[in-house]
Amino acid sequence: MDTSYLDLLMAQQEEVAEEATGGGGVWVVADVADGAVASVTLEAIGTARTLADSLGAYVYGVLLGEGITDLAPTLYQAGADGVRVADHPALAQLALEPYQKVLADLFEAEQPEVVIFGATAQGQELAPRLAQALGGGLIEHVTAVSLDESTRTVQAAFPIYGGEYFEIVACPEARPQFLTIEPDAFPAPFIDSYRKGEPTLLDVEPVAPSVRVVGEAEGFEPPVVPLAQAPVIVAAGRQAGDLELVKQLATALDGRVAGDRGARDAGWIEAEQIVDVRGVTVAPEVYVAVGIRGDTFHNAAIEEAQFILAIHPDPDAPIFEMADLCLEAEPQEIVPVLLELLG
Amino acid sequence: MRVVVILGRVLDPGGITVNRRVGRIFINREKYILQPADRCALEAALRIKDSADCSNPTDAEVIALPRGPLPDDDVLRQALATGADRAVYLVGSPAQADDAVMARVLAATVEQLGGADLVLTGATTLDTGQSQLGPRLAEALGWPQIVDAWAVRAAGERVEVVCQNKTGYVIHDADLPAVVTVTPGSLKPRYPDGVRLVNVYKGVGEIAAALEQWEVADLVDAEFLKPLLEQRGRDFPPMRERGARASGTVDEMAQAAADALYRRVSR
Repeated sequence: MDTSYLDLLMAQQEEVAEEATGGGGVWVVADVADGAVASVTLEAIGTARTLADSLGAYVYGVLLGEGITDLAPTLYQAGADGVRVADHPALAQLALEPYQKVLADLFEAEQPEVVIFGATAQGQELAPRLAQALGGGLIEHVTAVSLDESTRTVQAAFPIYGGEYFEIVACPEARPQFLTIEPDAFPAPFIDSYRKGEPTLLDVEPVAPSVRVVGEAEGFEPPVVPLAQAPVIVAAGRQAGDLELVKQLATALDGRVAGDRGARDAGWIEAEQIVDVRGVTVAPEVYVAVGIRGDTFHNAAIEEAQFILAIHPDPDAPIFEMADLCLEAEPQEIVPVLLELLG
Repeated sequence: MRVVVILGRVLDPGGITVNRRVGRIFINREKYILQPADRCALEAALRIKDSADCSNPTDAEVIALPRGPLPDDDVLRQALATGADRAVYLVGSPAQADDAVMARVLAATVEQLGGADLVLTGATTLDTGQSQLGPRLAEALGWPQIVDAWAVRAAGERVEVVCQNKTGYVIHDADLPAVVTVTPGSLKPRYPDGVRLVNVYKGVGEIAAALEQWEVADLVDAEFLKPLLEQRGRDFPPMRERGARASGTVDEMAQAAADALYRRVSR
């Protein structure tokens, strides 16, 4: 089979022809990290594609920065029908006023229906200001979307109390509808390397930013988070064997070291590091129990943890009834392998 | 220097239970606390007041405003007891006011107060996780903004703010007036003063007169009070399945654990 012919045919079919439209469309403002399009932007384009296909609209990507014109093909390949590029030295670093000026002028002219940002520093800074300036609604940290097709309204879910449940909210009248989407919440789109198009370059009027970066905050120490509020905890039990491994794992996960009463008896931890209903009750995002058998008092104190990983050699250890992922293994054997994988 | 601090309240998460199976939220104990990030913003405001640059008390004034519609003014009383000089309770805010509406109302309130040098508020809310009020207010006022501050120092015509970036902590600076949002957990908040607390609740002395009530209708036209967002329902995550065992060799188990941890910790 002549595959080159097939390639040619597909390439011809996938040439993206952007048509003149009377406004509207689903727009994605790209995040650029380390000279590449951030994965959250690709996910946003995938989401925009799904919404736009149901709405019968086009998907547009906006790239802002310096020397970023070469990234436009990535947006086309991810599913954009048109790409606008603002490439200017004044946009080299994220700064509110220069970025806002470009986007406000663009959206003023194009009247988008939906504008999607990543829930990143850029999205957090720009989306609310643009929404207020253009009179649009904004839903932040979105993890799922659906469409109310009769009113062309996006219904978006975002987590409450860190994901205990989700609120579904819509912006029925005001346009544009701004969303910032959580990284990793939406699937990455299929990258079709045959899709291509010609990006439109935007004129950039340099505006001086009002916030200046003075320099490093030398000697600044953030306050120590109490163990009860720490987002990541690595706790040792008697079966851990070696506290050094537990400490290394805590460092790798940027977490705090704790332990059960057995670890305290072994002299590994201080009294205020005991996770126990009589000690500290914790509610971290991630709790790693290394060699903790899990008595009633300990297990009750970690009930609110969002994810529990337990490592213990005994298959009948009570901690396994609590854990979301159980590893039946000797901590001394598995933790070094785990450390290597976490890099 | 006049510092306005915007405070909100949140249902104490320790008092609620979410039953994913039946898809309901049970409020076991209806207790409200000050939004943790707003509490840090109040502390930042009081530290500016305490700082040497503002040693003249007539120069340093901290005014507390509500973040959203409040059925009572408990939050503002707490702020007064903790050290705020004035608090303005906004009567008649629409019950469903969202951040777009509140940004307008608060911008009008700040103007009515005769302006301010600095507006501080929490960077995010504990319950909804939304962080748009500060930037929206900055836009409504036409002021610069600095989000996610870890420390705030205001002196003269400028504000210096410590922010976190990928590599560490950096200092940003902007001309006043400005809006700064403060990260939860960034500052150790102080406790309310006992005498002030009693007086503010009993309505005794100077401090009781410091709690004012303003009508929202006098500040903003009714047509601007319509919220942009409407609630369409709730969704509950699937039931948590505990006790999943990783199988295979030590290497395979470690890989499964690394994948699970990486997904959750990398953010």
